[in-house]
Amino acid sequence: MKNSEIDRTHIPFIIMIAVIILLPIIIPSAYIISVMVFVAVYGVLALGMGILIGHAGLFSLAHPVWFGLGAYISGILAARGWVSPGIGIIVSAFFVALISCIIGAPILRLRGYYLACATFALLLIAQIAGGQLTNITGGHEGLLGIPSLSLGGFVFQTDLHYYFLSWALCIGCFWFCSNLIHSRVGRAIRSFHDSEIASKSMGVNIPKYKLQLFILTSVMASLAGSIFCFYLCFTVPSFFGFHLLVELLMMIVIGGIGSIQGPLIGSFVILWLRELINIYFGKIFPVMTSGVDSIFFGILIIIVLIFMPRGLAGWVEQSFNLGRRTYAYFKGPGA
Amino acid sequence: MHTSKVLVHNRGHSEIESEENYLPLNVVRLSKRFGGIHALNEVTFNIEEKSIISLIGPNGAGKTTFINVVTGTYPPDAGMIYFQGQNITGLPAHKIASLGIGRTFQLQELFFSLTVLENAMVGCHTRGRAGMLAAGLRIHTAKADEKRLREEAMENLKMIGLEQRASDSISSLPLGERKLVGMARALGMRPKLLMLDEPVAGLAAHEIENLVRLIHSLIDRGLTLLIVEHNMPFVMSISERVIVLDEGFKIAEGPPDDVRANEKVIKAYLGE
Repeated sequence: MKNSEIDRTHIPFIIMIAVIILLPIIIPSAYIISVMVFVAVYGVLALGMGILIGHAGLFSLAHPVWFGLGAYISGILAARGWVSPGIGIIVSAFFVALISCIIGAPILRLRGYYLACATFALLLIAQIAGGQLTNITGGHEGLLGIPSLSLGGFVFQTDLHYYFLSWALCIGCFWFCSNLIHSRVGRAIRSFHDSEIASKSMGVNIPKYKLQLFILTSVMASLAGSIFCFYLCFTVPSFFGFHLLVELLMMIVIGGIGSIQGPLIGSFVILWLRELINIYFGKIFPVMTSGVDSIFFGILIIIVLIFMPRGLAGWVEQSFNLGRRTYAYFKGPGA
Repeated sequence: MHTSKVLVHNRGHSEIESEENYLPLNVVRLSKRFGGIHALNEVTFNIEEKSIISLIGPNGAGKTTFINVVTGTYPPDAGMIYFQGQNITGLPAHKIASLGIGRTFQLQELFFSLTVLENAMVGCHTRGRAGMLAAGLRIHTAKADEKRLREEAMENLKMIGLEQRASDSISSLPLGERKLVGMARALGMRPKLLMLDEPVAGLAAHEIENLVRLIHSLIDRGLTLLIVEHNMPFVMSISERVIVLDEGFKIAEGPPDDVRANEKVIKAYLGE
């Protein structure tokens, strides 16, 4: 029984790793590979934010800030040549951890809508600061001159290199988070989402876990941001603003709130749907492509919320259970 | 745990005699106000080891507030709380819980996104060690922790007779079983003092019988119980001592029969 339990938790990771390795071999298309890099990067972001919102009940809207900080700090350090890009990524992760700790300690005392308001304000402040501090960030023109990422002599140049790097991060984060959620700490986190009074009466130190989780997810976002900026060799503040926030929320809702796989599924679905809409509708309405995808996503959210309130992940799980029960039902009388 | 028996500086309160320092609970002139309402007004009493004390009183008498203040959900406005001689006044709830005061809730407050077993495992939280990084990286200590907590929680479920429902969701349980999950969760903390908030409200007769048996087995294991309850036959049959609160004041204290005959108590319940 013990063996089968271990196997079952490893199966999703083995499948994921196999698909990621096989994909570029089966379909060697630079276009697909580059979209998949974004799926991984946004997947890490949505995963962190999904845990904050769905598991811990912390409605933090500041997630793009940590993503942007990670991108800008490692980008600036590399562009100015102060430290090598590899060390820059680690420095930016530490720096983001420090800032999110300083900001998180007071702000996480707020609950519900108040936390959402405060973190949203943080997002707006960071956005304006990124645009105005032209001598540091390059302002709205963007930060230019970011070199390619090099780790220990290996230079990441092609899309394929970044593909493997970003998916290594994504699968690593996914593995870490799914271990976490099914552990003592994860149960404590889910418990205070349901009932804070019961949770603290059981000895759960709620402020400590809230802060730790906040820092953990912001470091994840920072690492994703670093890879993002080295991949594009360019960043502007508008990458990390309200638009990204809305996209992340869409990924979480469509993928499924309160599940670990949900945000990754959401990231995959949203990014590919956007690509498909741009390909097909670009031909029909060449002028209005940028607005068209929002209309589709709006409709999609309504459909998902009506027919699968637990998102795609919840729907898949439900159909799987239904399938298993039907199988058992038909098999039962014969056996 | 020897540390809990160490007498912590008791801020010069002369009321605390040295023999009383090891009592499970020792409450001195405890007061709590919500705006203009005195929910607790200079309530003083002791609880002896391995005893069953009931706290009764009309609605709004301050019974649940008493539990909330003792467990640190709200800080008291005045007064002192000693747990086994240690001053716990104003400590945060999670610290008080880890010292060994467990509780259940009037409305259960179960964790609906967790299974029955996971609810019981949250109760064992304080005895795990692995932190966030250890848990996420799934290193050896985290795995060992997980296995131990799972076994302990399962034992608690077995003791209250819910092991069959370990992997069920809370929403699939009837009220009686939900109350038992609350008990299993609180027992996971291995409390020395357990406070039950309305444990039998809404239960059928046979469920009450089971609960009485469970409570007696807990006393045999060395626990001390404080029960808040409205069901008088249950209270009068199970408790060694009954404390009556009315509008935040302690109006009576004593063996069940004395309290039942007390005029103040009758007045509080029936009006003048």
